[in-house]
Amino acid sequence: MFPTDVLQMAFVCIMLMHILIFKSYKFEITELITKTMFSQVSPSDERILWKRFLDGDDHVLSIIYMQHVNKLYDYGCKICPDKNLVKDCIQEVFCVLIRNRKNLSETDNIRLYLLKALKRKLIREMTIQNASSKISVENNFSFLIEYPERTLFDDMGFSEALQEKLHEALLQLTDRQKEAIYLRFNKGLGYQEISELLNLNYQSSRALVHRAIEKLRELLSEVKENIFQLLFMLFHPSDAL
Amino acid sequence: MQKYSDYRTEDFLHDNDFIAWLSRPDKKSDEFWNRIIKEYPDKKANIEEARLIFRLLYGREETMGVSESVALWQKIRRKTAFSRRDLFIRTIKYAAVLILVFFSGGLCYYFYQTQGVHETSFEIAEAGQVYEDKEAKIILSDGSEVSLEPRVSQITYSANGKQLIVNNDTVVQASNSRPEQMNRIIIPYGKKSMIVLSDGTKVWLNAGSQLVYPSMFKAKVRQVMLIGEAYFDVAKDPEHPFQVKTSDVNVEVHGTKFDVLAYPEDKEIQAVLEEGHVSLRYTGKNLLSRDRIYDMQPNQMIVLKKESGDARSQIVDVSKYVAWKSGMLEIETEDLIRVIKQVERYYNIRIKLADPMIGGYKISGKLDLKNEPEDVLNIIGLTVPIDWQKNSNGEFVVFKK
Repeated sequence: MFPTDVLQMAFVCIMLMHILIFKSYKFEITELITKTMFSQVSPSDERILWKRFLDGDDHVLSIIYMQHVNKLYDYGCKICPDKNLVKDCIQEVFCVLIRNRKNLSETDNIRLYLLKALKRKLIREMTIQNASSKISVENNFSFLIEYPERTLFDDMGFSEALQEKLHEALLQLTDRQKEAIYLRFNKGLGYQEISELLNLNYQSSRALVHRAIEKLRELLSEVKENIFQLLFMLFHPSDAL
Repeated sequence: MQKYSDYRTEDFLHDNDFIAWLSRPDKKSDEFWNRIIKEYPDKKANIEEARLIFRLLYGREETMGVSESVALWQKIRRKTAFSRRDLFIRTIKYAAVLILVFFSGGLCYYFYQTQGVHETSFEIAEAGQVYEDKEAKIILSDGSEVSLEPRVSQITYSANGKQLIVNNDTVVQASNSRPEQMNRIIIPYGKKSMIVLSDGTKVWLNAGSQLVYPSMFKAKVRQVMLIGEAYFDVAKDPEHPFQVKTSDVNVEVHGTKFDVLAYPEDKEIQAVLEEGHVSLRYTGKNLLSRDRIYDMQPNQMIVLKKESGDARSQIVDVSKYVAWKSGMLEIETEDLIRVIKQVERYYNIRIKLADPMIGGYKISGKLDLKNEPEDVLNIIGLTVPIDWQKNSNGEFVVFKK
C-alpha cells in the first residue's frame, strides 16, 4: 500500500517539474512572438515604451537600450576614466531594470531615469574602489570633458592672445560647471533635469551655465567685428573650402 | 515667436528649442530658425554668437560603436536569462530533494516491512473486534478464513509453511501465498487453542487472545504478535531469536518456556518464565520515553505497568500460572476479582460483583475449568463467603453471603 503512495508522490513531483519546464518554454515563445510583432510598431512616446517594458515586454527594453546606450556611455566616461567599469555599470543598470521590473514606477523620462541610475551606480562603485582615500566620491569627482583643441581656434583666425584667454577660461571652469554645461549642450537637458542630476535647485544649475556663457561672451566681444566670417567657417567648413 | 525679439545671446542658450536645434538639427528646426533670423535681423548677431559659444563649450563625445553596444546588450540578456535559469535550477533542486526524501522513506519502509513484521498489521490486529467474535478462526495470509470448531482446537504448521493441520484436517495454503506473510488466529472468550508454528514452537493461546505470525519464519528474528495470554514453548534456534511483541512490551527469547499475559483491557502485563532466559523490553507509547529492559530468571514473574513501564518481580510457582493450558486454574492467595476475571475470559461470561469490597478476598486452591461455570463459582464459594445467582440476561452476580 505504502510504496504506491510513494510512486504517486513522485508522479506529482514529476508533473510539477514538467509544468515548470513548459512554462519557461512558453515564456521564450511569447518573447519571440512579441519580437516579430513589435518590429512593425514603433511608438514614439517614451511613456508607452516604458509601460510596455513594465508589462513584461523584454523586446522594448532592447529598443530603449539602443536609444540610450551611447549617451549613457559618454556620460559615464566623463565621470569615470575606467571605460570597462562604465560598461559594467551600464550592464548592471539594465540587469537591475529587468530584475526589478515589478517594483519600478512609471516614468515619461527614461533618459533622465537611466542617467541618474548610471551616475548613482558609478559613484557607488568608485567609492568602493577608493575606500582607502576616505573622501566621498559624490560631488568630488573630476568631470573629464575635453573642449575643442587650440588648433580649432587657429583655424578660426583668432589672435594668439584670444586663443590663450579662451583656453584659460575653459580651464577655470569647475567640475560642477563642466557637468552642467555638458548636460546642457551635449545632452540637451533642461535645467530641471540638470538640477536633479546635480542635486541642486533650478536656479543654481542655471547659474552654473550662465556664468560660463557670460565669461566667454566677455572674451569674444573683443573680436565681435570678425564674428560672422568666423562663424561661417566654423559651421560650414565644407562651404568655405 | 514674439518672445525672441527681446532675446539676448545667453537667452538663446537657455532656450531648449535653440539647444535642440544646435545639437540635433533637422529640416523642421532649420526652417524655423531661419525664419526667426529673417523676421528679426537684429538678432542674427546674437544667434551667431550663441552658436559660437555653444561650439566652444561642446565637449568631445565618446562613442561605443555598434558592435560593442550589441555585445554589451547580449551580455545583459545572457545575465538576466541566467538568473531565470538559476531560479529554474533551484526549483528542480527542491523537487529532487523532495523526491529523494519520499523515495528513501519509501524504500526504508519497504525493507523494514519485508525484514520484520509489518507494524501496521499489528495495529490492525489490535483494533480487531475479537471480543465480539464468537467464533474461533484463523485468517490466512491470502485472506481466507479457517474456523476452529471445538472449544479446544489444535493447529500444526508444516515446516515449509505451505500446509497446516487443524484438528487432524489438513488445510493447504494457496500456492501463490508468500510464506512470510502474516496469519492471524483469533480465539474468542470461552475457547482455547494450541498451535505449533513452522519452526516447531508451541503456543497455547488462552481465551480472548490473538496471535499474528508468519506461515514460515524467514526473517532473522522470529517475530510474532500477541494480544491476550499465551504460553510459549519456543523451539531452540540461536541463529534466529524469537520475539513476542505486545502493545507495550517485547519479549526477546532463545529457547525457552514462558507465559505472557497482555490483555488490552488490563493495566498490567504479566510474564512468567518457566525455563531458559528471556528479557522484556518496554517500548512505551511515548516517543520520548526510553526503552526499559528487564532480564528474567526461571520461576520469576514480572508484572509491568503499561502506563509507566514500572515493574515488580517475584519468584513464583510457575505451574500455578501456566495450569490454564491444561484446563486447570491454580490460585495462591489471589484477589477474588482477578480470579473472577480469568473465569469470565475462560467461559466468555459476564460476572458482576454486587459489592466491590468482596473483590479483595484472597483465595487459594485449584479450579478445574473443564466443569461448567456454575460449578466453578460453587467451588469458589467453599473457600470465601460468597454466593451467586444468574440474571435473566445470562449475567452472573456474585454477592456476599
